[in-house]
Amino acid sequence: MRTSLVVFAMLFIVGAALAGGPKTYGKPITVKEFTKISDILAKPEAYNGKRLLVEGNIVDVCSERGCWIKIGSDKEFQSLTFKVDDGVIVFPLTAKGKKAQGEGVLSVKTYSKEQLIESGKKHAEKEKKEFDPASIKGPKTVILLKGEGAVID
Amino acid sequence: MIKWRRWNNILHRDFGYAVAALTLVYAISGIAVNHTADWNPNYQQRKEAISVEPVKGATTAEMKQFVMKQLNLMDEPKSVFRPDPGTIQLFYPGRTYTIDVLSGKGIIEQIHQRHVLYEFNQLHLNAPKRAWTWFADIYAASLILVAITGLFVLKGKNGITGRGAWLTILGVLIPTGFWIWFQYL
Repeated sequence: MRTSLVVFAMLFIVGAALAGGPKTYGKPITVKEFTKISDILAKPEAYNGKRLLVEGNIVDVCSERGCWIKIGSDKEFQSLTFKVDDGVIVFPLTAKGKKAQGEGVLSVKTYSKEQLIESGKKHAEKEKKEFDPASIKGPKTVILLKGEGAVID
Repeated sequence: MIKWRRWNNILHRDFGYAVAALTLVYAISGIAVNHTADWNPNYQQRKEAISVEPVKGATTAEMKQFVMKQLNLMDEPKSVFRPDPGTIQLFYPGRTYTIDVLSGKGIIEQIHQRHVLYEFNQLHLNAPKRAWTWFADIYAASLILVAITGLFVLKGKNGITGRGAWLTILGVLIPTGFWIWFQYL
């Protein structure tokens, strides 16, 4: 009885801690100055490998594992994917629309058409979904902020 | 006469009681997160088609006002986003409106946290980190103790030298056999 009460009290505390107020995910933020997402997307190569702090509204969240969020840019029609290692940080789906600050290292990689087709086939096989190689039109540059820490309002 | 079995059984009994509740939490969450390909163990997601008139407005702010009026939304959204020139999204707590500007067709995506199961999963997957990491380590060590002492609770034909040995070997063979099949065959 006492054990059950202790466990349920802990669940309550965890639940309360998870609700409301700005919440820190992962490591504390150390970078002092913000970099505009529009600046990053304008010249990604200039920021490749650099540790950056960005801010903006969360416009999408990984619905399967909470392993990425998309942060809306200061300019329209742009967003930056903030990717974290699976399980290290888990973003809640309810974070959509909230303001976020995220720190991480920028990764800019260009994949050839062949690499994308190979990756698409593997992904489709794993997910048991159909994949049309013709949907890949050419090489693609993927820009990610490899996230280490974030604060969500 | 050695009294180790008496102490063994006391440890098994008391640690067993202490870890029972959390074992249920981990086991229930374990089943839930094993099937993430089939469902979201933390949230209920509901998508519903909606339709408004083609969105009017020269700016995002004007478009937002138009959509809010069309959908009878009184509260200001938490934020607004346009992923591309043809789409506008309005974010409210727990729901997102995504509207195609030209056609006015769109969807409402509603998200509801699964009560109890969400908390179970957060604890199981160590989302809180910090102190919970230590608590979970202590719990895991306690489970090891319960497992080992469990082997020696009984003596005789139902103990570890009799029936217990066969069942324990079976418990070793199933994961070992599976791994060999999975990895090499």
